[in-house]
Amino acid sequence: MASQRDVRNRIASVKNIQTITRAMEMVAAARLRRAEQRIEALRPYAHSLRKLARQAAEAAGSVPSLPILTPHESVARVGVLVVAGDRGLAGAFNSQIVRAAVAASREHDAEGLQTLFFASGRRPASSLAFRGLEPVTSFTGFSDRPSFADARDIADRLMTAYVDGEVDRVDIFYNGYISPISQVVRRERLLPVHEAAVIAGVEPSTLVEQTTGEPEGPRALVEYEPGPTEILAQLVPDYVEISIFRALLESTASEHGARMTAMRNASENAGTLIEDLTLEMNRARQAAITQEIMEVVAGAEGVS
Amino acid sequence: MAHAKFQVEIVTPEGEVFNEEVEMVSTRTSLGVIGILANHAPVLARLEPTELRLYRSETEIVRLAQSEGYLRVGGNHAMLLVEDARRPDQLDVATLRERLADAERELHDAGEDTERRRVATQDQKRWRTFLRIAEAQ
Repeated sequence: MASQRDVRNRIASVKNIQTITRAMEMVAAARLRRAEQRIEALRPYAHSLRKLARQAAEAAGSVPSLPILTPHESVARVGVLVVAGDRGLAGAFNSQIVRAAVAASREHDAEGLQTLFFASGRRPASSLAFRGLEPVTSFTGFSDRPSFADARDIADRLMTAYVDGEVDRVDIFYNGYISPISQVVRRERLLPVHEAAVIAGVEPSTLVEQTTGEPEGPRALVEYEPGPTEILAQLVPDYVEISIFRALLESTASEHGARMTAMRNASENAGTLIEDLTLEMNRARQAAITQEIMEVVAGAEGVS
Repeated sequence: MAHAKFQVEIVTPEGEVFNEEVEMVSTRTSLGVIGILANHAPVLARLEPTELRLYRSETEIVRLAQSEGYLRVGGNHAMLLVEDARRPDQLDVATLRERLADAERELHDAGEDTERRRVATQDQKRWRTFLRIAEAQ
């Protein structure tokens, strides 16, 4: 049986761990709230950009044939962007994404396609490298708080790879944020861009009202600098940047949510462990006292 | 003489940064510098990186480093959708120098007529503008 001192030491160390997990839970909760706010903050921008795209598309008459809208004739290499975190201790958050991406690369193998990995986050970058699936490019150091510039860097890299023929298709894997306790693995097609997606979710009717806000300003009189086609050509890459930014933000919210849940569980487990250990220590103390009494009694009997 | 005021909204992916009435907005489109006063004709324009000036009055001017984006004017209301818009004192010269150097290196490595070159050119233009604004203050 463990001595009292051993048990007391273990209780002390479990308590230390509990303090840390509680602190991490609290930090994750605060960051989660901020991450949720940032997802909200993106919405008006994304929505206005779509409205703009719709307006430009209507004025242009047709969507221009851009390289990132055009599917490649034959698909041989598939780019896979794996979005997860820089740090661990977040339950299945990192591993479920890597697992999904590796499963996809096996599917590609079976179809005779080559997979090129792009990683966002230190964890997926190192897990993939460990499995011998070294990412072509890794983007790290921002999973706590991704900025739009980070999303733009990733988008630029991927669009360049697509247009210059390094890859023929790009899919993204990330943790979609549903609630603090629920995150799902999402897989989406990033490139080529589906042209309908750029202007999806905007009703044409809301636009007419918006663009002809003043009675004397019919839409035909809107001045375009440069032409609507050129504006639209620029809006499509912007759409890709926003899609990636949203995925990064959702992934960040998911990461904090997953970490908060994992740390709460850890704190609760530590609590149970402390209770068990306290019980064990009480038993050990009781046993020691009993032992001592018996020794005293035995000693007294020996004397008399 | 005071000009009539109109509503100006600046929206970035990180949220709204400005939503006030001003007398004039001065920015740069792909065709050149543009000044917007109240009751301007409807416009849809692509914006280039520049120093954005928002005239609350003739003497009170808000200056922002503005990246590429779009401008929509209509119904006596102007909306700027830009990737980034921040006060000059929020810019860091050292970081911007680094970014500009990165863009120039990319430009040097990129082949003729590639997407990579186009992206690097855009980056270079943006960071050069931001750096100029940061150094001017």
